[in-house]
Amino acid sequence: MLALPCYACRHLGDTMPEVKSIFREVLPKQGQLSMEDVPTMVLCKPKLLPLKSVTLEKLEKMHMEAQEAVKQQELAMKEQPQ
Amino acid sequence: MEVTMDPLFLAWSYLRRRKLQQCSDICSKILQDSPYDQAAWSLKTRALTEMVYVDEVEVDQEGIAEMMLDESSIAQVARPGTSLRLPGTSQGGGPTPAVRPMTQSGRPITGFVRPNTQSGRPGTMEQAIKTPRTASTARPVTSASGRFIRLGTASMLTNPDGPFINLSRLNLAKYSKKPNMSRTLFEFIFHHENDVKNALDLAAQATEHAQFKDWWWKVQLGKCYYRLGLYREAEKQFRSALNHQEVVDTFLYLAKVYQRLDQPITALNLFKQGLDHFPGEVTLLTGIARIHEEMNNISSATEYYKDVLKQDNTHVEAIACIGSNHFYTDQPEIALRFYRRLLQMGVYNCQLYNNLGLCCFYAQQYDMTLSSFERALTLANNDEEQADVWYNIGHVGVGIGDLTLAYQCFKLALAFNNDHAEAYNNLAVLELRKGRIEQSKAFLQTAASLAPHMYEPHFNLSILSEKIGDLQSSYTAAQKSEDAFPEHVDTQQLLKQLRQHFAVL
Repeated sequence: MLALPCYACRHLGDTMPEVKSIFREVLPKQGQLSMEDVPTMVLCKPKLLPLKSVTLEKLEKMHMEAQEAVKQQELAMKEQPQ
Repeated sequence: MEVTMDPLFLAWSYLRRRKLQQCSDICSKILQDSPYDQAAWSLKTRALTEMVYVDEVEVDQEGIAEMMLDESSIAQVARPGTSLRLPGTSQGGGPTPAVRPMTQSGRPITGFVRPNTQSGRPGTMEQAIKTPRTASTARPVTSASGRFIRLGTASMLTNPDGPFINLSRLNLAKYSKKPNMSRTLFEFIFHHENDVKNALDLAAQATEHAQFKDWWWKVQLGKCYYRLGLYREAEKQFRSALNHQEVVDTFLYLAKVYQRLDQPITALNLFKQGLDHFPGEVTLLTGIARIHEEMNNISSATEYYKDVLKQDNTHVEAIACIGSNHFYTDQPEIALRFYRRLLQMGVYNCQLYNNLGLCCFYAQQYDMTLSSFERALTLANNDEEQADVWYNIGHVGVGIGDLTLAYQCFKLALAFNNDHAEAYNNLAVLELRKGRIEQSKAFLQTAASLAPHMYEPHFNLSILSEKIGDLQSSYTAAQKSEDAFPEHVDTQQLLKQLRQHFAVL
């Protein structure tokens, strides 16, 4: 475990020299700083939704309407014999 | 005394005001009184055509049969940069899958969707059959049995007196000689009845009557051939039409043929040739940009979209594509400006508010984020859109560290769309944080089977398996991840580690 230099304390020390900091600055003079790169799970990215072209919207609308019309027709056909 | 307007004039006026049903009703009345009134007949065909008219340049639906049993391809494996069918060959240095999500077919998602970009071209038969089940719209078996037939039959069903024109009894030879009626009749047969064979007959006879000098009929013949899948014949007709008269539409149709034949470079040259005759034509510039985008060359696509905006600064497609490109190249605040521009122009739908919400969040405008998403939710038309919005709100939850919110959002996304692979993957990551390994693994496996083109579930599964000591499954999952995203550094490192392990054993 590495102790990081406390920037906040040093800053305080600059402006108010008479106050003695209770934290001691630790700067490693020897040895290597190393960090292990552990692979972590990845999230899927946020998805911008593509806008629809006018043609596509019209096609989809027409398709919905056509399906509705067929459904209505079938319902009417079913009701007729009764 | 009430003065009545001449019914034919009234019908004509209705047509111009796009009150098509009223126009058609009046024409029917006129035709009941005098069945041989050609003007009323022609007007009615026009009204009925207008009701179902869609721009033929935009319409393009490829069925499974056309895709898999393709006779026009020359080589099985095309050279890089010459084919639209190899989504992996990126030369433009666009964003990698690590930052930009993929569509079902393994292309980076774009800012705009048209009928022919809906699902791209899957690589294998298995994928082709599987895709419709997970996509929001089903892919038809062939394009001939697609949407058009269904629309055509529906239009016949809704008419209680049977079809307006009985095509089998129509004397096409007679009509082809009347230039003032043949054109409206052709459009009626082609667009309203979707009877391409009869339309082709009529066009062939009419072009003969015009002594092969009329470019309009040649273009129509080309359209029919295209619908029938005879691309080389269509190409001939369009080329011949261009010799008579250069029209922007013909360039677009011809380029469409080349795109279907998988010759993007020819299509690009054609567009450039068109631009020589029609400098600054927006549709041609858009065509070029689309091809670059489909070939994964995002940066030059963006250049062309910028050219489009110089000519027409309200072009929705260009604004949306540039916006999404900025978002995925880490400039959400610029993307936000583009989407805001769309909002100012009056685009008002679920997708736009969702994008605005995401851009606001990543551009640190937190006050607008949730209200945009709320709007998006209220404007959503179907469950798939709802699911996508909840999925993105989940990301906001992850971003602010509210993992409970994120968890609930991803769950909601799954409640609306049970095939949402991304939500499964993210849920798995959250489950693992809670220490529920089995649950996490199950979610990852579901995600991997739903979306084999994404690398994330494979990679996560690989890490998870490695942690619990199942090195063999870890290795297979890592290999799948490498297939989906070969440049991913973490996957490569993991594979290297695993190979070392196996070597030691």
